[in-house]
Amino acid sequence: MSTSSTGAVAKARTDIQTETGTSAILSFFRRWGTILVIILFGVFFSLMSPYFGTVSNFNNILFSMIVSALLSMGLTYVVAAGSFDLSIGAVVTTTSIITALLIPSIGWIGATAVGLGAACLIGAVNGVLVTYGRLSGIVTTLGVMFLLGGVNTYLSGGYQIPVDYNEAVFRFLGQGRVGPIAFPVIILAAVFVCGHVLSTRSKAGHYIGAVGDNPMAAYYSGISVYRWVIVSFVLSALFSGIGGILLTSISSSAQPVGGQGYLLEAFAAVFLGATILGKGKPHVLGTLLGVFFLYMVSSGMNMIGISFATRQLFNGFVLLAAVGANAALNREEIHLKFI
Amino acid sequence: MATPLIELKDLAKDFAGIQVLKGISLSFERGEVHGLLGENGAGKSTLIKILTGVYSPSGGEILLDGKPIHVHRPVDAHAHGLGAVYQDSELAGSMTVAENILLGNEPSRIWINRRNIRQEAARIMQEIGLDLDPDRKASTLTAAQMQMVTLATLFHRRYKLIILDEPTARLSAGESELLFKMIATFKQSGITIVYISHRLHEVKLLCDRATILRDGRVSGTLERGKIDEEVVTQLMVNRSSADLQIENHGHSQDRVVLELKNLSTPRLAPLSLKVRAGEILGVTGPLGAGMEQIEKCLGGLSAYEGEIVIDGALTVIRNPGDALKCGIALIPEERRKQALFPSLSMAENVSLPALSRLAKRGLVQGAAKRRYAEGIIQRLSIYPNAPDRPIRYFSGGNQQKAVIGKWLERQAKVYVFVEPTSGVDVGAIRQIYEIILKMAEAGAAIIVISTSVKELLALSETIMVVHDGAVSAQLPRSGCDRDGLLAMTISKEANPKVNMVVSA
Repeated sequence: MSTSSTGAVAKARTDIQTETGTSAILSFFRRWGTILVIILFGVFFSLMSPYFGTVSNFNNILFSMIVSALLSMGLTYVVAAGSFDLSIGAVVTTTSIITALLIPSIGWIGATAVGLGAACLIGAVNGVLVTYGRLSGIVTTLGVMFLLGGVNTYLSGGYQIPVDYNEAVFRFLGQGRVGPIAFPVIILAAVFVCGHVLSTRSKAGHYIGAVGDNPMAAYYSGISVYRWVIVSFVLSALFSGIGGILLTSISSSAQPVGGQGYLLEAFAAVFLGATILGKGKPHVLGTLLGVFFLYMVSSGMNMIGISFATRQLFNGFVLLAAVGANAALNREEIHLKFI
Repeated sequence: MATPLIELKDLAKDFAGIQVLKGISLSFERGEVHGLLGENGAGKSTLIKILTGVYSPSGGEILLDGKPIHVHRPVDAHAHGLGAVYQDSELAGSMTVAENILLGNEPSRIWINRRNIRQEAARIMQEIGLDLDPDRKASTLTAAQMQMVTLATLFHRRYKLIILDEPTARLSAGESELLFKMIATFKQSGITIVYISHRLHEVKLLCDRATILRDGRVSGTLERGKIDEEVVTQLMVNRSSADLQIENHGHSQDRVVLELKNLSTPRLAPLSLKVRAGEILGVTGPLGAGMEQIEKCLGGLSAYEGEIVIDGALTVIRNPGDALKCGIALIPEERRKQALFPSLSMAENVSLPALSRLAKRGLVQGAAKRRYAEGIIQRLSIYPNAPDRPIRYFSGGNQQKAVIGKWLERQAKVYVFVEPTSGVDVGAIRQIYEIILKMAEAGAAIIVISTSVKELLALSETIMVVHDGAVSAQLPRSGCDRDGLLAMTISKEANPKVNMVVSA
């Protein structure tokens, strides 16, 4: 396509140069638009409800978004590498079940380690299938998602697995408090800082981005493309695994199903996050703000008495608007990709 | 003399029994700019693809610093420091210029230090005389700038041999100047440049030596100063292969089908021409010199100014759909990308444009579709006669026939062929020429855009040469011979050896 439309491209470029006035406004909105929208919604809900703009509500929002935020941040790496991971929801459940099952026999540290190890293994399998196995990311992870659904039911027998009340340290992970702040929120913050540094400052993040942007260029630059795709899937599964362990600790039990619900939220957050700061590609900070936005709006609407159905409607609308804005800002010459 | 950097010994390549390279022996010295010239099909692109690991040679060897090396995959070539810059550079669009230059070679081990990357990239760019903002996103660069950034990456990675394939095809004069300066810097640091171009003045200006390929063999290597039009043309012309013995005896009628009035784009000076029914107009010139603009305008792929008149009616072509509606069929060069559906069967591909006619009450009749496809397969003698086989399993020549077959029954008024025989095996070329001539006989107006002089002489009734976005000559087929036309394509000032140049 690029060869067939050079003339038009050249024309488009001159257009951009002549419209510097409007493009300054455009680039401002491109960078700050989404954040502006988030702030506006925050202000709106604060005006509508006296309980919204309080510290305790802020804490509540953070607490409720923990698992979702972890999944979304992990998914960010896979989307940045140019693939999809639909298995993350199921990974949450699997990790949760494995951990809860093992705590009585090998203690919480061992159980947590095995749970996270299993998550990483699933991620590695996804990655290897997508790269060396030459399978499509969507189909592979969809298959793994179903597969894990079976494993989960098999391991749990279809019942919830309780965690013993005496596992005080393990329960502290999800239920503890440090001053006014919930301990899992601190874990989330720590994971976020690591994840953000990893993606912006490390070679891993740099190469994952390069691979997602132009795999051919990455290949010719001597980057081992497959390795970084696999790493992105492992990171995604690992983050989901951490989410699964916190979920187990928060509810003192593992549920046989339910992780899937987080999947769609995570995708919404990643694509919403891609518009933040005008990056046009997924990044960890954007994803975190995206999750926060979804949960903030949900909490706010709840407070001013808007029904669940309307909230869902709104979430769908937000996702379409965010992706639409992204497409409008990064206009392609000819649009012929429909994935 | 010291050992040359690269020495090719009796390098041969055949595709399914057809010899494309018939024993090339050639050496590239350290720090020289080596021109590579030759007609289309002389073996230049095959040679490059062997050097960059896209193809494996079927005979002979490649010596690097006197030692034989094996280049079977693109990675091997990169590992040995052999690289090529194609017209579509491979850059990561969302990364900055600096990040692209150092991609895969970041100065630190685990962490990324943006300031270091920027400084290092700025140093490299200064060294090679490239003036660009290192923080600019690669996707905002022009094609020329992308090409230069790619060059910078190769320079930084200490490549020993860099192949430039028609590097100036998409560059403006100023950008070309910059490129030439970069080439001089590269030369000074001992990098060998293989410079492929159809533009003789560039080769004269830049190259220390130039090798001319002809029909898969080295026909001669000239030292700087001895490179001139006459000698080059003589070495290029391949008399033995002028035996296709096809010629257009003229089918043109008086009725003008297609008329362009002052058609122009940013890369094409206003152009006016008329194509009559049954006439085949051949358009040639150096790659990227503007002839591709004609096809883009007529195919609805590029915005244009001026008027396109078909059968006396003014038409506006904004997209490929418009082009079809007013009776223009474009048969593009990159048929696999732009004209065929590789996984669909031959029958499905050829019957696609006719589906609405083959449908009854909105449903396509399977039997009718098959009959229709078989008819076309037979008429174009597509081989093998396997309507249900996915088209990607057919040879290049038969794929090309299928593209023509798609439009055969639509009976377009104007056909635009772009490099109709590129990637087509020799046997099928003749058949394709005959098909095109038959279409002209049936009264279609045809434009053939091709860089192959041989092709134009076989097909055209009228020939037009385009240089630097403007028509440099337009004359009847009878008014030029092979040598003359070849000279005109490599140099603007050449005469067709007969005084029949008609200004456009």
